[in-house]
Amino acid sequence: MDGLIYLYGLVPARETEQQPLPALKGFDGKGEIYTVPIGSIAAIICSLDPIEYSEEVIKDKTNNDMEWLREKAFHHHETALKLSKLYTLIPLKFCTLYKNQASLEKAVQSNEAKMLDTLDLITGNEEWNLKIYCDDKLLKEKVSQSNPTIEAKREEISQLPKGKQFFEKKKLDKLIESELQEEKNRVSERIHEHLQQYTLKGTNKRTWNKDVTGRKENMTWNSVYLISVPRVEEFLEQIQEYEKEMKKKGWQFEASGPWPAYHFSCFS
Amino acid sequence: MQPAGQTNGKINLDPDHAEHGLAQLVLTVIELLRQIVERHAIRRVEGGTLTDEQIENLGEALANLEEKMEELKEIFGLNAEDLNIDLGPLGSLL
Repeated sequence: MDGLIYLYGLVPARETEQQPLPALKGFDGKGEIYTVPIGSIAAIICSLDPIEYSEEVIKDKTNNDMEWLREKAFHHHETALKLSKLYTLIPLKFCTLYKNQASLEKAVQSNEAKMLDTLDLITGNEEWNLKIYCDDKLLKEKVSQSNPTIEAKREEISQLPKGKQFFEKKKLDKLIESELQEEKNRVSERIHEHLQQYTLKGTNKRTWNKDVTGRKENMTWNSVYLISVPRVEEFLEQIQEYEKEMKKKGWQFEASGPWPAYHFSCFS
Repeated sequence: MQPAGQTNGKINLDPDHAEHGLAQLVLTVIELLRQIVERHAIRRVEGGTLTDEQIENLGEALANLEEKMEELKEIFGLNAEDLNIDLGPLGSLL
């Protein structure tokens, strides 16, 4: 076959024999998704028109056509999610394309050992995400009330004349702000460390700003964990415990999953 | 009209309530200038070149300006987030 290949993911070939792939529409919305066995691994792919989906066209669409990008990224995400519920899946990044089936086969064959290790790692395990949010205003009040240095400084400032008081207050605000950041990092890191006992692997990611999250609280922590299926319940219960204990102090927790194991698959 | 408390960084210039959007726009610009002056003043004070009296006068003027801004925000039903603007690569104003 000479057509362009869009690769969604890689799965153990025997799993596709036991559980055939359901009918799913491909990236262009016309063709179907299908599997190609390559040794002990099966690639889940669809064929694309090489002119309509050339590198230049995709680059142009990705940079200039937000509607196209949104629709296609959603399609990729939804498809990977469906596949991850059926198979042990190594999900591939959005728009992973091969010139033809032969180049795909070559890439899979040359990485087979690495992929088998990855499949071993993710078999029977799930990827979960934890986002921690914090109401800065509420936590700032707690930090500034419970810190004796800040209290003493505040008392000292109140004795000064108005003009000097202004500058000292600004300095104090800066100090409180840095204490707040430290407290947020300290608490988030402690939670991350504590959660390691329920997880096989854990890694932290970049936090998102409010424009992305659409929430009024700041995201202070964003991490992903690989968890063995029987331990997921405990992990989620622990997060509920944190929520119960810390909600009044301005902390919020959002666990989501299971997701395709994007962060624990080396091929992607 | 959308509520003033929107926090998407956009100025609301509703034709029926243009004066409100205009107040938000004007106060945002004033707040930007006030913050620039304030940061500059803090640098001068930290630089150690001002006398005690100059520091006191400067601080008092800035404190009065801050109080006045609070009053104006209250009059127009705006909060700090409404006057926050995205300065691109420099981040947010506030």
